Amino acid sequence: MLFRQRLTYRLVSLVIERATRAHCPLCREPLQHTPNKKVPFTILSSDHFSPDHSVTIGKLDSVTKTYGTRPALQDVSLTFSSGVTGLLGPNGSGKSTLIKSLLGLVRVDHGSGEVLGLKWPEDTRKLRDRVGYLPEDDCYIHGLQGIESIQMMARLSGFNKTEALRRAHEMADFCDLAQERYRTVETYSTGMRQKLKVAQALVHDPELIILDEPTTGLDPAQRQQLLDRISVLAREKGKSIILSTHILHDVQRVCDHVIILAGGQVRRVDTLANLQRPSQASLRVAVVAEASQLHQALVRRGLRAELTSHLDLVVYGSPDETDEIWKASYEAKVMIQRIEPAKNSLEQLFLDVVRESK
Amino acid sequence: MPILDIGYREWQGERSPAWTRAWVVASTGVSLVWRGMWIKRLLMLMVMPSLVAAIFVAIFEQFASSSTTQNEVVRMILSGPSSSQMAREAGLSLDEIREDPSKARHFAWTYILFVLFRYPQSVGMILLVGLVAPRLISFDLRSRGYLLYLSRPLTPGEYVIGKAGVLCVLLFSIVTLPSLAIYLAGLCLSTDPGAIWVTWDIPFRIIAASVVLILPTTAIALALSSLTQESRYAGFSWFAVWILGQVTYSAMWAATEMIRTQAQGYRAGEFISTKYSPVIMFSPYESLGYIQKQVFSLLPAGESRLEPWILMIAVTIIGYSIAYWRVARTLKA
Repeated sequence: MLFRQRLTYRLVSLVIERATRAHCPLCREPLQHTPNKKVPFTILSSDHFSPDHSVTIGKLDSVTKTYGTRPALQDVSLTFSSGVTGLLGPNGSGKSTLIKSLLGLVRVDHGSGEVLGLKWPEDTRKLRDRVGYLPEDDCYIHGLQGIESIQMMARLSGFNKTEALRRAHEMADFCDLAQERYRTVETYSTGMRQKLKVAQALVHDPELIILDEPTTGLDPAQRQQLLDRISVLAREKGKSIILSTHILHDVQRVCDHVIILAGGQVRRVDTLANLQRPSQASLRVAVVAEASQLHQALVRRGLRAELTSHLDLVVYGSPDETDEIWKASYEAKVMIQRIEPAKNSLEQLFLDVVRESK
Repeated sequence: MPILDIGYREWQGERSPAWTRAWVVASTGVSLVWRGMWIKRLLMLMVMPSLVAAIFVAIFEQFASSSTTQNEVVRMILSGPSSSQMAREAGLSLDEIREDPSKARHFAWTYILFVLFRYPQSVGMILLVGLVAPRLISFDLRSRGYLLYLSRPLTPGEYVIGKAGVLCVLLFSIVTLPSLAIYLAGLCLSTDPGAIWVTWDIPFRIIAASVVLILPTTAIALALSSLTQESRYAGFSWFAVWILGQVTYSAMWAATEMIRTQAQGYRAGEFISTKYSPVIMFSPYESLGYIQKQVFSLLPAGESRLEPWILMIAVTIIGYSIAYWRVARTLKA
């Protein structure tokens, strides 16, 4: 009896320990949490995953594509890394053409490269077996049930009927398609069709997943769930993801790297952390009330600070300044809600790039 | 909801080669078609003429042992103006047949199969393809489903072949299979063990006639389906091709025959429809019929013409090219 109790206790402890210990999904090493609770922002997921752990999964050189006389891609050279890469650009910037070219659906005029160890564009047919693609368009096979659609995509990837059906059900579960999986797809709402497309893109267990505007038409809750799924796929399942979107919040939420396209040319390629890093190290401090009092206390202590609203201020300096900030808040009797490194606005960066391209 | 392990449990299976994936398109299409109640009814209905043809072959073979009775059966089969002229043109004489019934066997079987192909199966084929084919590509163009297909290792050409496969499977099941079954039934019911030596070429002729029927018709149907996102327009165009073609042919044939008979005078016993006339090129139905007659070797020696073959080959190439071009072009949009 005592042995059973001890064994149960040990098992429960192990489960709790494993559940609470965070690991890097790429190197499997435990994440190093800082014991200093005053500096909660020391470790950020995007910093951890990139650029230290990213692996190059694809490289394109001098890709050019013109439709008639209109250039869609002009001498595009890129390197795709593992993790989540956000592909940003205004309408007509060449995002979809780049994705279709990558998949070999559109023949490029010029260019070469290597994706997932395969020669590009020569081996795009083989590549499509290893890539999951979620098209931007609302596309479905008329007359098929949801589960049959997923099964058919698995069969198109070379799986036999039984294995395809098994995977289809697993993917339907993963994408939260419950009993509606047995309804014909033309009766689906936009949100359900997006879920279905995600399931179809994942059913053959691709190494690289290309999501073209995946959150279009989703309500906030569904959007959140989809972004969570993308995070799970990248962080826990080790998938590489290219996320083409207009929604900058989505990029900030899940991406490690960002590629900004405008006018058919690559304008910026960097990690999200680098793009958002301000020219001068600074901290954003959010308070419960009266940021002005904290501002005065900080100035008195010789720190350079700037009020951004009555609940927010930016303190210029390195994270080492946090001790001084805590002391100032104690002095000013202002409760701090959050301290985090200040970031450049991705939106501003995006607008600047678009403006430059014009 | 548990998040499942999408590493797929150390799956060790082999994926099928990429060139076989077109079959998935075809089998999915066939399973979708099979859900339609009217299609099922039509398919059942189209088996009926085959049963009638099988009964004719069975009667012919059952009475083969009695030469007198067989003569009556032969006379019955050859009593029509079309069949008697066709028998004459095929080099058969009724007197010879009375003496050696095995000479009539090959003709009787091929003639029965030709009639089956030419009339009930061809008309059934037009109806069936008219109901099924218009949706095949047009629905995918409307719902952009082709993107899903082509995001896998499938080329636009294979996609079109897969869609054609849907029609091929259906036509094979209503044309080729029943005809082969009739042939086998004839062999089984024949009291003459040497029947197989006389009729060994018939299965090949059946397959050839099926290919001749299936290729151009699927090409026309897929081309029409790919040209529009509205399947009803494709369906309307499909029936228009056959009906207008037949009407034009009939009118022109009547006019040319009138001119000919006025010039030469009508000869009794001549069934003029067996003569080749260039106006059959206006009608896909008549062109196919002429080619089938050639395939079943029912034309007089030296009467074979290449023009209908060239027309059908051209229609096939153009039809498939249009379908391919439409699907490949949509990717650029």
